Amino acid sequence: METVIELHDIRFKYDTDDWVLNGIDLSIGPAEYVLVCGANGSGKSTLGYLLNGLIPHFMEGEFIGNVMVDGNDTRNLTVADLAEMVGLVLQNPEAQLFNATVAEDIAFGLESLGLDAGVIDARLAQVVRSLHIDHLLDRSPTELSGGEKRLAAIAAVLALEPSVVVLDEPFADLDWDGVELVRRQLRDLHQTGKTVIVIEQRLESVLNEASRCIILENGKVFFDGAPAKGKTILSERQLIPNYPERMPRTVTDERPILAVQNLHFRVNGEEILKDISFKIKKGESVALIGRNGAGKTTLIKHFNALLRPHAGSVLVLGEDVRRKRINDLAANVGLSFQNPNDQFFKLRVDEELRTGPKLVGKVDEKWIDNVFKIFELDELLDRSPYRLSEGEKKRVGLASIFSMQPPVVVLDEPTAGQDGHFKEALVHFLRMLEDFGFTLIIVTHDFEFARAATDRWIVLEEGKVVGDGPPRLFAEKMHATYGESAINHKECVKQHDDKFGKAAIG
Amino acid sequence: MTINLARQRLARLDPRTRLFLGGACLCAVLVASGLEVLGIQSAMILLLLLTTGLATKWARSMRLLWPTMAMVFVVVYLSFDFWQAIISCAKLFNLLTVSFIFFNKISPQEMADALRKMHVPYSFSFILTTAMRYVPLIGQKTRNIMDAQLSRGIDLRFRPRNFKNIMALLVPLTVQSFMLSEQLGMAMEMRGFARAGRTIRRAYYLKPVDYMAIVVSSISLAAFTCWQMGWLR
Repeated sequence: METVIELHDIRFKYDTDDWVLNGIDLSIGPAEYVLVCGANGSGKSTLGYLLNGLIPHFMEGEFIGNVMVDGNDTRNLTVADLAEMVGLVLQNPEAQLFNATVAEDIAFGLESLGLDAGVIDARLAQVVRSLHIDHLLDRSPTELSGGEKRLAAIAAVLALEPSVVVLDEPFADLDWDGVELVRRQLRDLHQTGKTVIVIEQRLESVLNEASRCIILENGKVFFDGAPAKGKTILSERQLIPNYPERMPRTVTDERPILAVQNLHFRVNGEEILKDISFKIKKGESVALIGRNGAGKTTLIKHFNALLRPHAGSVLVLGEDVRRKRINDLAANVGLSFQNPNDQFFKLRVDEELRTGPKLVGKVDEKWIDNVFKIFELDELLDRSPYRLSEGEKKRVGLASIFSMQPPVVVLDEPTAGQDGHFKEALVHFLRMLEDFGFTLIIVTHDFEFARAATDRWIVLEEGKVVGDGPPRLFAEKMHATYGESAINHKECVKQHDDKFGKAAIG
Repeated sequence: MTINLARQRLARLDPRTRLFLGGACLCAVLVASGLEVLGIQSAMILLLLLTTGLATKWARSMRLLWPTMAMVFVVVYLSFDFWQAIISCAKLFNLLTVSFIFFNKISPQEMADALRKMHVPYSFSFILTTAMRYVPLIGQKTRNIMDAQLSRGIDLRFRPRNFKNIMALLVPLTVQSFMLSEQLGMAMEMRGFARAGRTIRRAYYLKPVDYMAIVVSSISLAAFTCWQMGWLR
């Protein structure tokens, strides 16, 4: 059988750690569409680094075995030489975009290949058209949303037209439109004879498209075969989450704990949030759903006054947040951002978790012990937060907010880049926390997770609330065709005007 | 109308010309010695700020630089005298404002392309321009970290009593900066940074207006330098 990539008895470890890859043998042929999956920390990204020569040329560590690309040992080629053969889209798109504009970023690799300006422009135009990012060309990567950055990073690699394309979590920050776009693009690439290797946690996005599924476990190939069979194994090993059925909860306290009234917010004259109004009752679990750039993160930053509205108001426990200082509001509204690395500064996990409670004057050791148990952190307490796996970091980040016992907890994309086991565990954690009386607001693109963790969805589109009600009202409508409105607001309001929508709330 | 024309004229010049004009203006500020001359320069620079539509952005960026200027004033006043302190501050003000206009009228990519066209080694121009690009990125990271810490009740406002909280900003920022620099190196390598025979996508040509701008500014700078140095007497 003809192969484009061959791995012979690969073993790799970073510095003094255990083997991250421990005896991998693989052959990947031309025009294969391979899904590589596994739990957090199973060695998936490290495998990606091997394929384009970052290991052994860039990453430090102990490397044993051989990686052959098109019959060449990667030890004998530089990463720059391999760029034409293997294109790798990194897990963190921010790291990959280092030019002043998106156009310059996409052109960078093409300039390195020494192509003429005309060819560069033609390839650039083609790739941005296929990913629908023409409007981003002149924008700085730093100004883009997470999903837009992801698409720009993918475009920069696809423009090089490598024969093997490796994508590390390409769907992580994308909304349903972005997922569909990238999925279509990968399908087209595969059909044109390219080898496509996707390393992914959002398995449902690739399982039906891929021709082969490889499951890694503890640095070894645990399964290598047909995606249909792989799906069964993934379910058994909880890598595809099997959420428990959610019974709708009734909230007895009718008083709103958070009220947003006619909120407007502008950035550089452009209106980002337009006349947003809703109320959330104490003990409710609410999902904020919307496409990339719909204004979700901008909205939640108003809940603890990180942003101040240009018009309208936000009331927490009946008090206007504009009258309070942000750090004082932390006692009432806990906001957990996507990147846990933004908050770690203590040497040990337990110190990190006690920081918030000390500052808001609510050190309750019994509750903190509870949080350790709920988030399964007992064995990590004396470790440095920076030495944890991404899933563990996320758990510490969330636990540090809950340890402060704020009545309202807002979680921004808590499942992004996390494996099925974490997602399922998080639903259990959140249900336990609901029983303690927390009001939960979760920003997410993950419909299944949102359905399992919340009773009410507020749908944002282009800075406006276009729907507000129980998940069953939206679930099917949310899978709209690319470019169409996420939901038909008018139709929904007509059908359920007594149950949700601004008319009912305002 | 005047404002629009001024904006268009600056943007129409080749990046090499803009680089040269920026350098000439900085030299003119450096060789200026008298308070009257520095005052006239300040007035001209402020006029340029207004006509290029950068006044608001400049006012915002200068907020952090006023304390530096105040410190320079105090140090020079204590070391020399009042007038020397005023001259030093005026010179610093002009230097900062000219640099601000310059960096707002040339993008990092244009600067990199201009330096490459002038046969400056690519690795050098890339380091320079990447450093320029990373300033807003680090700024964004700093804001994200501040948002995350404020949300946990850690007060990071500029107050003496918050000094103990500074580690909550510095530790994540330092760690992320190291991570970012490693990832940048990876991303550059992956897209062929080290390959020979690199091309430039954008074509740049020096037009008559560029030559004219370079010649006029060279003569003006030479004359101004001779006058300030007293070589014309």
